[in-house]
Amino acid sequence: MIGSYPAEINTEEIIKSYYTQKLISWDKYIKSAVNDMLRAGIQMVSDGQTRDSFVNIFYRRISGCRIRERPEVFEKIRYRGPITIDDQKYVKSFLPKNTKLLGLITGPYTLSKSCVDLFYHNEKELAFDFADVLRQEAENLQKDVDMISIDDPVFSVSMPDYAKDLIQIIIKNLKCPIRLHVCGDVSGIVSDILEIPVDVLSHEFKALPKLFDVFKEYSFRQNICLGSVRSDNPALETVGEIVNHIKKGINVFNDKISQVSPDCGLRFLPRDTAYKKLRNLVKAWSVVYG
Amino acid sequence: MFSFTKKQEIINISGIQIGGQPGYLPTVLIGGLFFKGEPDYNNAKKQIKNMYNLSQETGNPAIPDFFIKKEEFIDKIIDFIEKNIPKDKQFSVDIIEPDLKIKTLEALNAKKLLNRTIYNSIHIGITDEERKAIKKHTPAAAIIVAFNPKDKSPDGKIEVLTEGAGLADKGLIKIANETGIKKILIDTAAMAPGDYSGSSIAAIPVIKEEYGLPTGCAIHNVVEKSKWIDTLFQNTKKPVDAASNLNIPLFGGDFAVYGPIHNSDLVFPMIAWEDILISEYTDHYFGVKPVDYHPRRKFFEK
Repeated sequence: MIGSYPAEINTEEIIKSYYTQKLISWDKYIKSAVNDMLRAGIQMVSDGQTRDSFVNIFYRRISGCRIRERPEVFEKIRYRGPITIDDQKYVKSFLPKNTKLLGLITGPYTLSKSCVDLFYHNEKELAFDFADVLRQEAENLQKDVDMISIDDPVFSVSMPDYAKDLIQIIIKNLKCPIRLHVCGDVSGIVSDILEIPVDVLSHEFKALPKLFDVFKEYSFRQNICLGSVRSDNPALETVGEIVNHIKKGINVFNDKISQVSPDCGLRFLPRDTAYKKLRNLVKAWSVVYG
Repeated sequence: MFSFTKKQEIINISGIQIGGQPGYLPTVLIGGLFFKGEPDYNNAKKQIKNMYNLSQETGNPAIPDFFIKKEEFIDKIIDFIEKNIPKDKQFSVDIIEPDLKIKTLEALNAKKLLNRTIYNSIHIGITDEERKAIKKHTPAAAIIVAFNPKDKSPDGKIEVLTEGAGLADKGLIKIANETGIKKILIDTAAMAPGDYSGSSIAAIPVIKEEYGLPTGCAIHNVVEKSKWIDTLFQNTKKPVDAASNLNIPLFGGDFAVYGPIHNSDLVFPMIAWEDILISEYTDHYFGVKPVDYHPRRKFFEK
């Protein structure tokens, strides 16, 4: 998985819980997303990020941020406690032993560029403070997950010269494997991305097959998470189509492909489509890797 | 005790004024009529009369809130309202099920009662059919419940009012406006005990400063569901329930949905006392003079 999965939130049911003063729980939405992933045969699941968008999940729980028409930073940001950890612990509580769990950290640069900055008025300072908050979350999170994915898609739009430093702040004390996911067209920044000392790089190879040609030009030590079904298009890729895509990836990366995944989060697809894409992805993986 | 920098709207619902700067208007008290099974209309009449008398004595405006939970009671309760609530008085209808809300709006329209109706409430569970029904049979005012299950803090409540928090297609205030509701009251959504319940009180000044709209809540619900009080202090539950409402005017709120109407004897004098306390300060410090029917005028300054 990359991260998000569609959730059908039943607001009528939630409002009834409110009126009967019951504690509101998100567990059923998390469980339904994870169960779809398990049913499809995914070997490393995420919590599905069903609570909210991948940026809002973080803005909501970082002190100094609030959500108005857009997220806002209104004072110095601070870590005030677990952001995603409770949901990961919940997933872990019902996950089969042979299935791995992916922790998700939305990257500091993406967080700094997706909000209205009412306090810092300094993009770099804001990004570094986000990185420090995320470092604390990641350090707490690593105990409960098998890998942490840092998702920083805004790098594909504008990669600052301090991108590597931001990621290094987060990962410096981590013992678990780290993946960096940057969706979008990274063809112009591949050399910069390869400088970042993570274990796995994850990109949108299905929507952007030209990335194969770009990566071909470099030798590098990171493994690859091969985006193999589109997350921005509900058209279902056949198993054969995905098999061919993975084989194309193997031609470029050889044994460096450690994961195959959707190109990005699946949040905006219909749930049934998202499930079928995962199912075909797993089937294709089995065909290629047995 | 404070004054807001944002201009505070005062709405008039067929004679009752709600909103404004703290200390200007007395707190509006909305008492609930919850019927178990067939409504006990005789008791309801008695309780409503008592509430109006207390309102007369203290100056705190009173609004009966009719909880309707079954379709078979819609016509009966609306008949009761038509016959027993004086023509110059308002009332609210408190309904959870969207289908019942729609049928109640139709029944209120048929009896020409919509111009005195406070619709309780609009929230994230609003359906397309309900929106159409409100547009067709628009009540005088509506309470919007700022309940955001994703974020129960004051910020989360503002988010759901402003942009729907991804749970409604747009902000709840915009939804209310689009259905034709002109007069809006904001309920800050008291959560269950242990579920960030204090946030509904903290949200009152935040929401008033943000929108300038009349704001209050049903904080007594938190007491009602506090099992530890049931277990250890059963005899004290009623005064604690009534006293919980004191938080609302103290934090600048305009109305209290104070729970069962039979708590009126406790709630009205408590809130009148609190309103006097607030008025003494806001008058002297901010120069906010209370209206002539304010409890402070009734009991201290004619």
